Amino acid sequence: MTKPMIEVRAVGKSFGAHQVLRGVDLDVAKSEVVCLIGPSGSGKSTLLRCVNFLESYDEGEVRIEGELIGYELDKEGGRRPMPAARLRAMRREIGMVFQHFNLWPHMTALANVAEPLIRVRGLTRAEANDKAADMLGRVGLADKAFAHPQRLSGGQQQRVAIARALAMQPRVMLFDEPTSALDPELVGEVLEVMRALAAEGMTMLIVTHEMGFAAHVANRIAFIDQGRIVEDGPPKHVFHHSREPRVRQFLQTYHDRNAF
Amino acid sequence: MSWDVLLHYAPALIRGFGVTIACWASGCALGLVLGFAVALGAEAPSRALRAVLRVYVEVLRGTPFLMQLFILYAGGPSLGLRLSATTAGVLGLGLYSSAYFSEIFRGAFAAVPRGLIEAAMSVGMAPFDILARVRAPIAFVAASPPIVNTLIVMSKETVVLSIITVPELMYEMQTMAAETFTAFDAIFAMAVFYWCLVEVVSRIGRRVEKRAAAFLVSHA
Repeated sequence: MTKPMIEVRAVGKSFGAHQVLRGVDLDVAKSEVVCLIGPSGSGKSTLLRCVNFLESYDEGEVRIEGELIGYELDKEGGRRPMPAARLRAMRREIGMVFQHFNLWPHMTALANVAEPLIRVRGLTRAEANDKAADMLGRVGLADKAFAHPQRLSGGQQQRVAIARALAMQPRVMLFDEPTSALDPELVGEVLEVMRALAAEGMTMLIVTHEMGFAAHVANRIAFIDQGRIVEDGPPKHVFHHSREPRVRQFLQTYHDRNAF
Repeated sequence: MSWDVLLHYAPALIRGFGVTIACWASGCALGLVLGFAVALGAEAPSRALRAVLRVYVEVLRGTPFLMQLFILYAGGPSLGLRLSATTAGVLGLGLYSSAYFSEIFRGAFAAVPRGLIEAAMSVGMAPFDILARVRAPIAFVAASPPIVNTLIVMSKETVVLSIITVPELMYEMQTMAAETFTAFDAIFAMAVFYWCLVEVVSRIGRRVEKRAAAFLVSHA
């Protein structure tokens, strides 16, 4: 049995007196697609952000292919923050896509994708531009290479953001509500890119409210409520056979809207 | 108006105006560099450094420029710092304006959306690259209108340099007024010079702001 790509063990986190995560356990195997669902404020985005340590966690461990992220253990069994350079090296292998795209507004779509390749992977600008153009082609935006983000639709911006993350050739991709800020008619194009990525065998951890997408693409669904994972299983089980009242209640609103 | 007096003093006035522009430009260039450094230092993990920089800004903003110049020029020698009037003037203007520029940069850095920085962190960019490629360009755009404004304010602060005998426009003007008893003409001529300078600076400023705004329209 190989190590899981992402391994979350007993992770706890508080913002002041408010406990956001309470002993979360979650595994994502290589090439697995896991969707995190749950009510707003349940801690799903915080959990996702702990995986690449954009958010620090107070207790427990998050490991990427077996390596602890964010901390290193000292001889006395305590832990201290890991060296910044090592954390950066780990983050290179973890792509992240944000709800609000977070494209750099002063750069063209092409430059947004090329910039990390130059600064982090050490490519020349010419090499990086070639690679970036390829990546934009893969997300269907070859013709938008020289457009600035503000000239692109939300769906196009999010596809550029996905291309930016993928260009780094990450081993894992994290998606933080990638379609929540989009107009309904633009959601499909982003989900299509994500579906294709899943089909290629990318390991993906996705926070989403798109239940139809989760039902069809995810290998597993984890339901979080009040900082705890209360259900974790195949979509069919979580969506149709869960015995957890919180899960059933949450999903009822989607059933009512015929979402899946 | 006594045109013959003005004509006679014109070379001195123009030379003085040149000194004004040179002191203003070099003082503000120094102020921008120092201000940028102070704004960055304000993010340092060291609490002591942050406190020192806070005091630096508060003292320079909280005391009259004239007093600062006196201390630098007249008080400097007792600290072993012997400066020519012009050097003291440029240095003084640089220090004084750096306090204002640092606050502008601090505000502009704070206005850079957190998500844009997180995007850079998530791909593993190093702090210097994030500063140079993401934070600074975006902050400069936000900072350009208040920077132009402060440049204009500083152009008029240069008159204070005349007090420590820097031969700038105000100084030449006073010389002319004293030698010829033409106070009104002198002040009128000076107003025209300054107004021209401010007009040119604000025109350039508007173009810079316009380009900056086109460079960066809106972001989430």
